[in-house]
Amino acid sequence: MRFKQRIQALPILFGMVGFLFAGCGGGEAEDASQDQGEQKELTVDEMDPDGMAESSRQNTLTKIFHAAPSPMETASLIQRSGASFHADALNGSDRASNYTTSDAQAINLGIYGADLSYATIFEENSTSLEYLQAIKSLSAELGVSDVLSDDVMAEVEANRNNRDALIDIVSDTFYALNEQLKFNGQEDLAGLVVASGWIEGMYLATRHLDEAPEELKNRIAEQKLVLNDVMRLCSSYEQTPALTNLLTSMESITTAYDAITMTEGDGVTTREESGSFVIGGGPTFTANDDAIAAIATAVEAVRNGCVQ
Amino acid sequence: MKHSIILILAFGLFATAADAQCRSFTKKNCLSSLDGYIQNDNYNSAILIPGDEAELMLTFLAGQDYRLVICSHPVLGEVGYEINDSRGKRLFDSSKNDGSNYVDFKVETTQQLQIHVQVPETKSAILHEGCVTVLVGSKS
Repeated sequence: MRFKQRIQALPILFGMVGFLFAGCGGGEAEDASQDQGEQKELTVDEMDPDGMAESSRQNTLTKIFHAAPSPMETASLIQRSGASFHADALNGSDRASNYTTSDAQAINLGIYGADLSYATIFEENSTSLEYLQAIKSLSAELGVSDVLSDDVMAEVEANRNNRDALIDIVSDTFYALNEQLKFNGQEDLAGLVVASGWIEGMYLATRHLDEAPEELKNRIAEQKLVLNDVMRLCSSYEQTPALTNLLTSMESITTAYDAITMTEGDGVTTREESGSFVIGGGPTFTANDDAIAAIATAVEAVRNGCVQ
Repeated sequence: MKHSIILILAFGLFATAADAQCRSFTKKNCLSSLDGYIQNDNYNSAILIPGDEAELMLTFLAGQDYRLVICSHPVLGEVGYEINDSRGKRLFDSSKNDGSNYVDFKVETTQQLQIHVQVPETKSAILHEGCVTVLVGSKS
């Protein structure tokens, strides 16, 4: 409903183009000082196609960007740690039509995105195709169907047995989705996608802990930092009731992570012959099985609330 | 009141148009720099002017190879960037490493790093603004 209201408002906005005269390229920036200098009238027409224009802003600012590792990175670390694929842990792709509000659709777009990443990394290609269809359906409901166009779906079909190609397509799709939601002024929905994607990635990582390799438990402990990224990213967006509720429910996960101790270490940089840099040092994490089990329990509760 | 509403709407429309320009800029000029890497899902682009700075704090996972790309409109000159650890210790400075707009690296332990971007000052009387996009790609 909220999305429809925003769409209806767009023609009004575009109708304002004739009146456009005040330019300020730093409109989206944070920590900006009010520019008291001489104002030059600026129109969109004066921009080059790449966004370059004469600026009316004189005072400098610091723009704060936010990001978090993608579900594909989480899925990759699960696989590299030696864990097995568990199809029974996925949220059924046939449930997509159960999600009827834009908030529930965004949350489960994130859930399905993590499931898709997990299936793709483990080369469960037929499962990946099912989740792509579910994601196509939810993204259409959210008005961002062009991120999974017929061309993209045809490319998926043509590469259904090519893991690397599928990984690229999935990553491109979720980048485009994030970009499109932000462009549409739906950053709150982008936040729901990111947060629920991380929750589902953690849910998948923490299933069957009894058979989990030690390596996976270490990777779960390190996610303390990623949780921090996710919370900071989502807190920077407009706090709608759905986003606030999700972030509030995630506080139980933050509390469970308090049992993970982190010891800071000095970073050092070296350069390999290839020209690539290696950043050594950094923090080390200590966690016992009880702490990991508590994280798994907290994640499961939040995740089950998301997929209802 | 009426003028305020018009100004707010005009500002919103301008910001949207500027966003569209940066999306186009990023697609056309930046994404190809991540060929061979899986791009991070987050789109981070802004219109900056000389003297502006940008920051990104992000967790990098052990066992992954990363490419960080700072893609900027040429009108802004050579945009510099640094990688600092979570305590502010400088680990990489583009100005001391051939000034390339990207760097490949990996971390031995999972850690949060701060990317600091600096648009160079200019002595020109006319300031130009341009898009700056921060991209992170990874591969196993």
